[in-house]
Amino acid sequence: MDWIAAIINGVLLGGLYGLFGLGLAFAFGVMRIVNIAHGELIVLSAYLGLIAVESFGFNAFAAILPVAGITFLFGYLLQAVLLNRVIGNDPVPSLLVTFGVSIILRNLMVEIFGANQQAIDAGAIELAGVDIAGLRLGVLPLLTFALAVILFLSFQWVLSRTAFGRIVRATADDHEAIQLFGTPYKRVYCIAMGVSVAFSSIAGLLLAMRTTFSPFSGAERLLLAFEVVIIGGLGSIWAMLIGGIVLGVTQLVGLKYNPNAGLLYAHLIFFAILMLMPKGISGWRRR
Amino acid sequence: MNAPGPYRIVGTRPLLACTILAGVFLAAAPFAASPGTLRLLTEMLVVLTMAHMWNLLAGYAGLLSIGHQGFVGIGAFGLFAISNHLSLSPILALPISIALCALIAAAVAPFLFRLRDAYFSVGIWVLAEIARLIVSDTAWLGGMLGLPLRMARNMNRDWFAIYTYWLASALALGLVVGIYLLLRSRLGLALMAVRDNERTAASVGIDVWRSRFLAFVLSAAGCGGAGAIFYMASFFVMPPQAFDVNWVVIMLFIVIVGGIGTLEGPFIGTLIYFVLRETFSQTGNWYLIIMGTVAVATMILAPRGIWGFVSARTGLEIFSVRRLVPGGRERTGKQR
Repeated sequence: MDWIAAIINGVLLGGLYGLFGLGLAFAFGVMRIVNIAHGELIVLSAYLGLIAVESFGFNAFAAILPVAGITFLFGYLLQAVLLNRVIGNDPVPSLLVTFGVSIILRNLMVEIFGANQQAIDAGAIELAGVDIAGLRLGVLPLLTFALAVILFLSFQWVLSRTAFGRIVRATADDHEAIQLFGTPYKRVYCIAMGVSVAFSSIAGLLLAMRTTFSPFSGAERLLLAFEVVIIGGLGSIWAMLIGGIVLGVTQLVGLKYNPNAGLLYAHLIFFAILMLMPKGISGWRRR
Repeated sequence: MNAPGPYRIVGTRPLLACTILAGVFLAAAPFAASPGTLRLLTEMLVVLTMAHMWNLLAGYAGLLSIGHQGFVGIGAFGLFAISNHLSLSPILALPISIALCALIAAAVAPFLFRLRDAYFSVGIWVLAEIARLIVSDTAWLGGMLGLPLRMARNMNRDWFAIYTYWLASALALGLVVGIYLLLRSRLGLALMAVRDNERTAASVGIDVWRSRFLAFVLSAAGCGGAGAIFYMASFFVMPPQAFDVNWVVIMLFIVIVGGIGTLEGPFIGTLIYFVLRETFSQTGNWYLIIMGTVAVATMILAPRGIWGFVSARTGLEIFSVRRLVPGGRERTGKQR
């Protein structure tokens, strides 16, 4: 029964990991940029949430909106001020710039917030649980998973049904042709980076209610996001959710087997999938 | 860019003379330098070697690694484990540890090369994390507590420091000369062709995979050797430090600021890095923030780094790997 609980909790955790990957894959899909600072921005959102809850008395869930707004702005500015200057056919400059930004952000966070582990207090909901078929599941994990699925659905809807989504898809396909229709593609890039960071930041905030974080958690978050993308396979939004769930389940089942393992098994399953299905789970199915 | 003048390429003979001079200077330094200076020199040589290894991959093979701390850690733990468990002198354990790094790099390369560009960069980071987590969880590698270098206890500390320094000098000098010769060879030309345009390179018969593979294995082995020597000098190694991503931060800073894709760049970058570090080491994390800011600013304002800037204006090339058409010393158009 313990193992089943670990698997179900892994699925619930995987929803958040899926959102990490969704943000990273979206930025890559539109701008061909792999944002190395993705993890640090996710951790930054956790600190913003912490400030909102502890200094401004926000409810942890009510903090989602202001945090998403601020991190959207961060993403927008990152693209507008730095990345738009270095994008081109060569992927190396943007990679180096985002890596530099990640160094700056990580160490600024150490200076400002200190290096110790912190967590966001979500209130009484943290201890609440429901019994389903003899299993006791936490309300907070269920709620965060539901939120993650809602975010996936809304992302899918915006991208496929709205005018903005059409513009983004067109820009991703051909950023030169889109200018013929009077759309400045660099503006689209800025908004896309903002969306990428904001979506993953919401997941970062929700994760901070469940586990501790420190300025050094950024690397871990980035690697998770990256593994979600590779495991899921590029090309489908829902593949990110599948990738996240695979990682979440692997991590929690692995921790049950060896409590000192950390993310070792998650990293190993990533490597195994890379060996067996280089195109990820969704790519393998389509073949 | 101003009107391109002629190249000022340093000839082979003065270069050879300088190399011999540098070799003599490096070999003789322990007899003139204080132990503190010697320690700093060892560290500078180790870091210089790492920067050159990273530059070989990023600047010449077009493979940007954020996982080279993995090879630093594997090299260090390899040396400590081999020396401790086989009761072998660390000096003899070093080549085995370097070979181990090369072997591991050769084993993971086929899978890593499935990842393109930025995905390669992060994929190798995941491998470094796997290595760190496995070492942290393996009792005979010391686990979380790390390993002391037992064999060094019976040795004279002063002489051990000098041996370590000589090893660092030999590795740095050997690898710099080696890379220079390699880049002037057919393989070097192939590497740069692959970096500039993979498809065109393949279409003229260059084995893209093999060129990258050789550069990757060499880079990993050199980095592992440098890591092993660094921790040998401190007699102790722990997983969080040896596998710290800040190793790559240092390599990246040096190469970007000095000039990526040049052999002169890492020398300049290493000097700047150590000046920065010695000046700001009291300020805690601020020197890392300064390093990050300088690297980002360089990337945006002068992507070819300091040496690229100097070279573009003066035409000066010390370690030139350029191939000129017979009689053609005039520069045409803009360089990469």
